[in-house]
Amino acid sequence: MVKTALEEFALLIPLLPALAFVITFFFGRKMPSGGAIVPILAIATSFVISLIITLRLLANPSEVISQSYSWFAVLNIGILIDPLAAVMLSMVSFVSLLIHIYAVSYMSGDPGESRYFAETALFTAAMLSLALSDNILQLFVSWELVGLCSYLLIGFWYERPSAAAAAKKAFLTTRVGDVMFLTGIIVLTSDLLKLAGGFSDGTYLLRFDEIFSYIPQLSTLQANIFGFEVSHLTIITLLFFGGAIGKSGQFPLHVWLPDAMEGPTTVSALIHAATMVTAGVYLVTRTFPMFIAAPDSLMVVAYLGGFTALFAGTMGIVMNDLKRVLAYSTIGQLGYMMLGLGLGSAIGLEAVGISIFHLVNHAFFKALLFLCAGSVIHAVGTQDMRELGGVGKVMPITAVTMTVAALALAGFGIPGTSIGTSGFMSKDPIIEAAYLFGEHSSNWIPYIFSIAAALLTSIYIFRLIFMTFTGEPRSNYHGHESPAIMTIPLSILALFALAFGSLTRTGFMNFLEETFANSFVNLDIGDLAGIGGNKLVEAAGHEPLFVLWLPLLVAVVGLAISFVIYYLRIIKLGSLASMKNPVYRLLYKRYYQHEIYTEFFSLGIVYGIIAFLSQVFDVIIDSIVEGIGILTVGVSEELRRVQTGVIQTYATGVIVGVSLLIILIKLILEVL
Amino acid sequence: MIPLNFYLGLAALLFSIGLYGVMTHKNGIRMIMCIELMLNSANLNLVAFSSYTNTLDGQVFAIFSIALAAAEAAVGFAILMAIYRMHDKINLDELKILRW
Repeated sequence: MVKTALEEFALLIPLLPALAFVITFFFGRKMPSGGAIVPILAIATSFVISLIITLRLLANPSEVISQSYSWFAVLNIGILIDPLAAVMLSMVSFVSLLIHIYAVSYMSGDPGESRYFAETALFTAAMLSLALSDNILQLFVSWELVGLCSYLLIGFWYERPSAAAAAKKAFLTTRVGDVMFLTGIIVLTSDLLKLAGGFSDGTYLLRFDEIFSYIPQLSTLQANIFGFEVSHLTIITLLFFGGAIGKSGQFPLHVWLPDAMEGPTTVSALIHAATMVTAGVYLVTRTFPMFIAAPDSLMVVAYLGGFTALFAGTMGIVMNDLKRVLAYSTIGQLGYMMLGLGLGSAIGLEAVGISIFHLVNHAFFKALLFLCAGSVIHAVGTQDMRELGGVGKVMPITAVTMTVAALALAGFGIPGTSIGTSGFMSKDPIIEAAYLFGEHSSNWIPYIFSIAAALLTSIYIFRLIFMTFTGEPRSNYHGHESPAIMTIPLSILALFALAFGSLTRTGFMNFLEETFANSFVNLDIGDLAGIGGNKLVEAAGHEPLFVLWLPLLVAVVGLAISFVIYYLRIIKLGSLASMKNPVYRLLYKRYYQHEIYTEFFSLGIVYGIIAFLSQVFDVIIDSIVEGIGILTVGVSEELRRVQTGVIQTYATGVIVGVSLLIILIKLILEVL
Repeated sequence: MIPLNFYLGLAALLFSIGLYGVMTHKNGIRMIMCIELMLNSANLNLVAFSSYTNTLDGQVFAIFSIALAAAEAAVGFAILMAIYRMHDKINLDELKILRW
C-alpha cells in the first residue's frame, strides 16, 4: 500500500516547483520577500519525496518506479525513477533548496525579486522533470526548458547590456548543441521505425528500455560519411554527445559558461551545481548503454573531457574575477565527469558510478564555492580579486566554508583510507580509472590530461583563496559577515562537501551500478561493450602506490605554489604575468576565443553569409512583390474605363447581358 | 377574336420602345414617360393573359399596377420639378450632387 502511494507522489516532484512558478510569477509581488516561501516549500516537499524514494530504492534497487502513458501513436510520456534518477532528483532538489533559502537574503531588495524566484522555481522544475523522464523526447523537452530558464536567469538584470549579451550567447551556444541532440533523436527515431517495421500502436518507441533493446540491431546499420563506414549507433551517440557538449560546457562549446556569470551569483550556483550543466553529463549517463555499444564514441567523450579539464585549468589560473575562476573550475570538473564516463570503454559500468558520484560531490562543493563568492560579493561589493584581500578577517564563516570547498575541489584526502573530502573521494577514482585505462590500452593521454588538470585546479583555487581571504586589503571596502540565513546554507553545504564523499563512497557507486539492471531495463554491459569492440578490464584495484598518491601529491604541490606566490609573496611574478609575456597574454585573452568565436565566426562568417543571402532574397522577393503591384495597377488602369458613371450604360449592359443569357438558355434547351 | 400573340407582340414592341427611350434619352421627363410606356406594356400583357384564360386576376393586377404607376409618376414629376427649380434644366447626366 505504501508503495503505490509513493508512486503517486513521484509525479509531484517536478509538478510542485512548476506550480510554485505559476503562483510566484502571478502573485509573488504582493507577498513578503517576493513570495520566496512558495518555491522553498515546494522544493522542500520535492526533496523529501525524492529522499524517501531514494532510500526505498537503496533498500531494494531493482524495484524502480516507472509509469508511462501513451502519447500520440508510438510515443509516451512517463516517469522513471531508477537509482540514477533518484540520485539526481535528491541532489538537485537539495542543492536548489539551499540556494533558494540563501537567495532570500541575497536577492532581498532587488526590484525583480518575485520574478527571480519564479524563474528559479521553473528552472528547478525543468531539471527535475529532465531527471525523471523515461523517454528521450520528454527529456529533450525538459532540456529545452532548462535552456530557456538559463537564458532568462543569466539575463536577469537585462538592463545591463553585458547581461543581455551573455544571456543571448548562452542561449545561442547551447542551441548549437541542442540542434545536434535533436538531429540525433530524429536519426534514432527513423532508424527505430525502420527496425520495428513501421508504426504499431501501443509501443513506447522512444522509451529508454525500448531504445536499449534495439542496440544490437542499431549497431549493424552502417552509413557512409565522407568515405568512412560509420555505425548508426556511433552517429546517434556522437550527436547526443554534441548536445551534452553544449549544455555541459565542454570544449568547444564552453564559451557561454564564463559569461553566464552576468546573472546573480545564486543563479551561477544553480546553473553550475544543481541544474543545467549537469544535464549533459546526465544525458550521456542515461544513454550509457548506447555509448558503450558504439565503437569510438566513448573515446571521443574521454578525450574531449580530459582536454576540457586541462584547457579550462590553464585559463582558470590567470583570471582575476572571483566568479570567472569558479566558472573555469566548473568547466574543468565537468571535463572530469565526461572523462570518467569516457573511461567506461575500459572499466564498464563503474564509469557511471564514479562520474555521477563526482557530479553529486561537485554539486555540493561548487554550490558552496559560488554561495561563498556571493557572500563575499554581497558584503564587499566587488568581485575583482586584485581589489580584495584580507576578507577572512571580517568574514570568518565564509572564509572557513570556502576553504573547505577549495580543499574538496582540489581533492584533498589520504589515499587508501576513507578520510578525505568529497572531491577527493570522487576525483581520485576518475584519475585512477584513467591510469587503468592507460595500462589497459597503452594510451596515456587521458591520464596525463587528468593529472595536469588536477595540478592546475589546485593552483587556481588556492590562488583564489589566498588572494581573497589573506593578506592586507588592497582597496577600501567595508565588509561584514553575512546574515544567518546565508551562512546556514553555507555551513550545511560545507558539511556535505567535507563528509558526504567518505560516508557514502562504496554504497553510492554500487547503488548507481544497479541503474541498468532492474525491473525496467536489464542489460549486460559486458555484452554491450563487446558490440562496441570495447574490452573491459577484468580486475581492478592493483594500481601501484604512486598512482594512489600522485593526485594528492599534485594537489599539495599546487597548494604550495599558490602559497609561495600569493601568500608569502616571495616570488614576484612581475614580468611573467604581464601582457608582454605572450603565453600570459594568450591565457588572459582566453585563447582569443572571443575574437575567434564571436568576431570571426559569428559576426564574420555566419552574419556575413546571412546578410548576403538576405540581400539576395530582398532583391528577388522585392521584384516579385513589386511586379504584382505594377501589373495590378496597369490592368486596372485600362479596366476602369468601363465604369463611365452613366447609369444608362450600366442599364444597357444589364439588358444586353440578360438578353444574351435568355438566348443562350433557349439555344441550350433546343440542343438538348 | 384577336389571337394572344398579337397582344404579346404589341406589348413587346411597346416595351422595346420604352427601353430604347430609357437607354438613349437624357431628359428626365422623357425617361419617365418611357418608363411609363414599359410599365403599360406589362399591363397590356396582364390584361391579355387575363382574357385568354378567362380569369379576372390579371385585370385586378393591372388596376393595381396603373394606380402604382400614377403614384410613381406623381413622385417622379415632383422630383423633376424640384430639380428644375434648382438647375433650370432637367438633364439627368448633369445631376451629380449625390455622386462622390
